[in-house]
Amino acid sequence: MNITRRDLLKTASVAATGSLMFPFVSGKAWANGQQRDSSTVVLIRDQRLFAGDRPDPDVCRRMLDEALCRLTGKETPDRAWKSIVTADDTVGVKTNEWNKLPTPSVLEDILKEKVLATGVKEENLSIRDRGVLNDPVFRRATALINIRPMRTHAWSGVGTLIKNYIMFSPKPSSYHGDSCASLATLFDLPEVKGKTRLHILVMFTPQFHHTAPTLFSEEFTWRYNGLLLGFDPVAVDATGLKIIESKRKDHFDEHRPLNPPAKHILLADTQYRLGNADPSKIRLIKLGWDEASYV
Amino acid sequence: MLTIITGLLMMCTTIQSQHPAERLPERFQSYRMSERLNYTPDNLYEYINGAAEMYLSYGLKGMYGCRYTAENLPDVTVDIYEMAGSRDAFGVYTQSRDRDEYTYGQGSLSYPEATLFWKDRYFVVISADRATPESTAAIGFLADAADKAIHRKGKIPGIVGLLPAEKPVDGGILYFHHYIWLNAYFFIADFDLLNINEQTDAVVAKYGTPEQRSYLLLVEYPDENATVAAYRRLMQRYAPESGNGQSIRLEDGTWFAGWHGGKRLCAIFNSPSLKEAESLLQATISKMQF
Repeated sequence: MNITRRDLLKTASVAATGSLMFPFVSGKAWANGQQRDSSTVVLIRDQRLFAGDRPDPDVCRRMLDEALCRLTGKETPDRAWKSIVTADDTVGVKTNEWNKLPTPSVLEDILKEKVLATGVKEENLSIRDRGVLNDPVFRRATALINIRPMRTHAWSGVGTLIKNYIMFSPKPSSYHGDSCASLATLFDLPEVKGKTRLHILVMFTPQFHHTAPTLFSEEFTWRYNGLLLGFDPVAVDATGLKIIESKRKDHFDEHRPLNPPAKHILLADTQYRLGNADPSKIRLIKLGWDEASYV
Repeated sequence: MLTIITGLLMMCTTIQSQHPAERLPERFQSYRMSERLNYTPDNLYEYINGAAEMYLSYGLKGMYGCRYTAENLPDVTVDIYEMAGSRDAFGVYTQSRDRDEYTYGQGSLSYPEATLFWKDRYFVVISADRATPESTAAIGFLADAADKAIHRKGKIPGIVGLLPAEKPVDGGILYFHHYIWLNAYFFIADFDLLNINEQTDAVVAKYGTPEQRSYLLLVEYPDENATVAAYRRLMQRYAPESGNGQSIRLEDGTWFAGWHGGKRLCAIFNSPSLKEAESLLQATISKMQF
């Protein structure tokens, strides 16, 4: 986009938006977007999520059901899940296996239970991260569910739902240029295009900072106890990013931008038209625990 | 006698050519080495996915290391990243730490799950799957062993020595030569505004308090023409009204100052006052002249 901070100061957008998410985005840039008018994102949190060190499965199940009902507008969890997948579908649940902060296994188990309850046959369901291109179920999948935790990332700013599909590329490194700027084009890959039924960004214990690229410290995570659900991965990621940026400001007591900035989320909106990152086009529904929600 | 001297020389050469990872112990405390790790720039992503790009932006040559296991204790891993030179190892370190400790190598940072440090052309990361008293002790032991296994010290890039004597914020210096890192502390531009590449040395430093923060950027180009071109671009895009290069107050009330001389370019961003901006700029210029 070739924008400098000064460009934004001239349009007063930094001060006007007070944007922690995209300090480098002006109102003009958003105005160029041609996405649908708005995207709905549901944030659900529960203060009693953790039972000791582990998420309580019953609380997780209730959170997923309640959030999905609100997202789909269905009255019961059964109807809500059946509006996501049907018995005829072959379903790939794309997770993230990074060992320090993987997709929680409890959520994988619940997704399995929910998908099978819709009538999908067990042989038509696969839950995995690496190897999706060689997985027979993913190869013939008619429906995808995208689920991963959010964390800071040394090259893309944050690990996102958009980035989670990089394993659908035969050459993931080809998406690394300019700090992963073109990740949104993953959604044009034939294995992916038009198949995703639901995006779930896990915000149980998000990682808001890191030191060396792969290092993980609990010091830089916190119990946010949340899930973000939506049909638009850009809107869900942008909402998650706002939470991460706000936590960083809270923790460090000054605005410390992600290094590098998460420009792939911005470009997913302004350049690739994958979805809405513009906060004014995101309809956020908040459910449950609201303390220090940051959004 | 000649045979003994030749033998000793050969032994010394072997020790010198050994990678530091090969000098780590096979066993210590309850731990034993269970796996050796060896990755090149072409396949490091298999080990750390997209995180490899940060190392590649600093000229990674290879990663060697090992994993230690012990019954009922968390695994501990030693990653020794061999960079193109000591400036790169220093750069990766400045990317990775947010405060400076000097317990290991030429600069280190420790917390319960990990220790990282740089020395010579190596950046070392020792980490445990989770923090326990035993794994933290093992990390300390291995950090000491890795430190001793690297015999030479590296040079801190000369450009860092040109920063003003006024002390930057602890852990607030970042050295780089890839444009991606221009925004590490403060968003300046979402593209390569200053033509920063492998041929340039760049450092950004934080000064002042969080409420009154100034960011100093210093870049050294291969020749004066490259410096002038970058300076013109900076001034056109950031301070077109600056005229003869005088400091200007921006729309958010902060001050910007820019300067170039010889192969070097310096810019001060976000200064709370004209006095602060010019003081930092003059202190840098003075440092370069003496």
